[in-house]
Amino acid sequence: MAAWIEILMILLILLDMVLPGLSRLSACVRAAALQGVLLGVLTLLANFDALTPRVAVLAGLSMAVKGFLFPVLLERAMKGAGVRKEVEPFVGYVTSIAACVAMLAVSLLLGQRLPLPDGGQGMPLAVPAAIMTMLTGLFIVVSRRKAVSQVVGYLTFENGIYAFGVVAVGEVNALVELGVLLDIFVAVFVMGIAIYQINREFDHIDADHLSMLRG
Amino acid sequence: MKMEIEVLFWTLLLLPAAGGAVSASLGNRRLMLGVLIASVAAWSAAVAAACARVGELGSVEAASSWLRLDALSAWHLAVMALICLLSTCYARVYFGEEMDRGGFPARQARQFCLLWGGTLSAMTLVLVSNNLGIMWVGVESTTLLTAFLICLHLSKPSIEATWKYILICSVGVGFAFMGTLLMAVSAKGTALSPEEALLWTRLWEGAAKLDPVWAKAGFIFLAVGYGTKAGLAPMHNWLPDAHSQAPAPVSAIFSGFMLNAALYCVMRHVPVLEAVPGCEGFATGLLRGFGILSILVAAVFIVFQHDLKRLLAYHSVEHMGIIALGLGLGGLGTFAALFHTVNHSVCKTLSFFAAGRLGQMYGTHDMAGMRGAMKVSPLWGAGIFGSILALIGVAPFALFMSEFLLLKAAIDSGSAVSAVLFLAGGAVVFMAALGHAIPLAWGGGEQRAGRRAGVLEAVLVVLPMAILLGLGIWMPDMLEAAISQAAGVVGGVRAFGLAGAQGGAR
Repeated sequence: MAAWIEILMILLILLDMVLPGLSRLSACVRAAALQGVLLGVLTLLANFDALTPRVAVLAGLSMAVKGFLFPVLLERAMKGAGVRKEVEPFVGYVTSIAACVAMLAVSLLLGQRLPLPDGGQGMPLAVPAAIMTMLTGLFIVVSRRKAVSQVVGYLTFENGIYAFGVVAVGEVNALVELGVLLDIFVAVFVMGIAIYQINREFDHIDADHLSMLRG
Repeated sequence: MKMEIEVLFWTLLLLPAAGGAVSASLGNRRLMLGVLIASVAAWSAAVAAACARVGELGSVEAASSWLRLDALSAWHLAVMALICLLSTCYARVYFGEEMDRGGFPARQARQFCLLWGGTLSAMTLVLVSNNLGIMWVGVESTTLLTAFLICLHLSKPSIEATWKYILICSVGVGFAFMGTLLMAVSAKGTALSPEEALLWTRLWEGAAKLDPVWAKAGFIFLAVGYGTKAGLAPMHNWLPDAHSQAPAPVSAIFSGFMLNAALYCVMRHVPVLEAVPGCEGFATGLLRGFGILSILVAAVFIVFQHDLKRLLAYHSVEHMGIIALGLGLGGLGTFAALFHTVNHSVCKTLSFFAAGRLGQMYGTHDMAGMRGAMKVSPLWGAGIFGSILALIGVAPFALFMSEFLLLKAAIDSGSAVSAVLFLAGGAVVFMAALGHAIPLAWGGGEQRAGRRAGVLEAVLVVLPMAILLGLGIWMPDMLEAAISQAAGVVGGVRAFGLAGAQGGAR
């Protein structure tokens, strides 16, 4: 199974490299959703030897929420807010890709410095991929202008944490996982409503124009 | 007995949310707030019962040790009950005024009651869960539930503050979840299963075998993550915006308890880290650093503030820094930090109450337009001036006592740098805040006639003032014992009581 998990990890990293270079908002949303689906598959693969119905249901639920529900919610928020389709980043696309390469180097270095206590079960890419995904998410949050892009960044960040949880920690309690999933779901929902209200009050959702409160 | 405790726990968790839901379903707005006050009062009675049980038994557990109260969480729960009861009563006064002016429509009242009840339940969940994952869920839930309390009155600045709050706190608290996972990874080489590694009691018992590198990494993430929610610098950017834009009762529980709930989560992990071989002094060192940085950053911003609620928000950053510094010093410092928790919470609630009411009277929170508050409303003018005096550590108030103990702890433990920086920050805050407070209370300028204050308003000023003065002069034995026990949970064997400070180690 380790080989398959490694392939998934490579896919995860590739998606991280692609995300900051995408110029259309809906493509960003879909890339983050695809990541969510990959993570569901990852959960199934990581527990392949002892696949319980509980794990399967949780993985399915997480895939449905991240792969289907979030894109629908965000598309609706964008439509409601009449957003222009382009991402319009602060940091240009080429610089973003360069930043991605730097982040990948940092993640690989960190992964080498922090070996898992049980030896990582022959998955040298597991920790770097998780860290890379978190960093990409943070990068998108700070380098993008639109509120929707920032939500995509937050989702990517959460995806990274989730990936780390699956490969490094293993099975935590179902109630905890459900609670976390519910919280993230509500977070996106709440952000969606906030975007709607930002749009109504400000006539745009450029978060960089939210600058009345300073000092 | 066991059954009784289970019922008690579930009452604590569900009563506020249920109270909020019931009051939201009513038709009359004043009745809604009345029912909300009644439900919070009933919940406070349950808190008192739970604290009494903890005092008797040391700690109580329920739901197969997923829910647990010990001296530390009971202490925070007691503070929370006091703050929330006061703030809910104040909400009646504050929104009552808005209703008299034709504001606060039923839709807003429903939104407020539902979210307020939910927030209280979520904060209780943070305090009573022994499972660190569920604790995280509680903290994130408070973020989401309070988001729309900030923009209860929709306006551009309030929506901006809401957006910053949701985004910064969600990402920040995400770090804390990563930290929780890293702590679980540090337990991988031990006999603990991943499920057990999330239970605080198990993690603490097995701390001697945790992997130090992963535990340290975990604590950094936890301190940054929960520190964001607690408003520690440099992760405090959301705090002044949210506190200044939220309606005053909401600012009061934000500052009075939500920050403390997040800091409590950091406190929980300190004894675990201290017990890991090779990590001694790591967590406390980090907390000292965050504490001092917060005090200094807040001091600089306090000098330049012109908005009263933002001024108070930066005071919160400063005082969270003081509490973190106390925790970082350990021993007597932990005692001082926990004593400071109640002092700061009571004082900050009072100051936001006063800022809110005066804001309603002047129609602004800009201090340039709020002069001579003593004439406009003697009651609230005295409230704001007294509470600012207390906040900057003037002598007879309880905050002076806890800060004095903290300074003593710093000098005793030989950390002169902390003591000097703490004093320097405190001195800047003292002068700057006094410079803001004197014109606010007695400055000339156009005077408006305020309305006569009601009995409830008088109680809301006099009671916190009496607590602050009372605790500054005399500390009851029962309270001292409660704080010592709570400090014992954080500091392990190194905890001191007040007597220990006076007469050597106990």
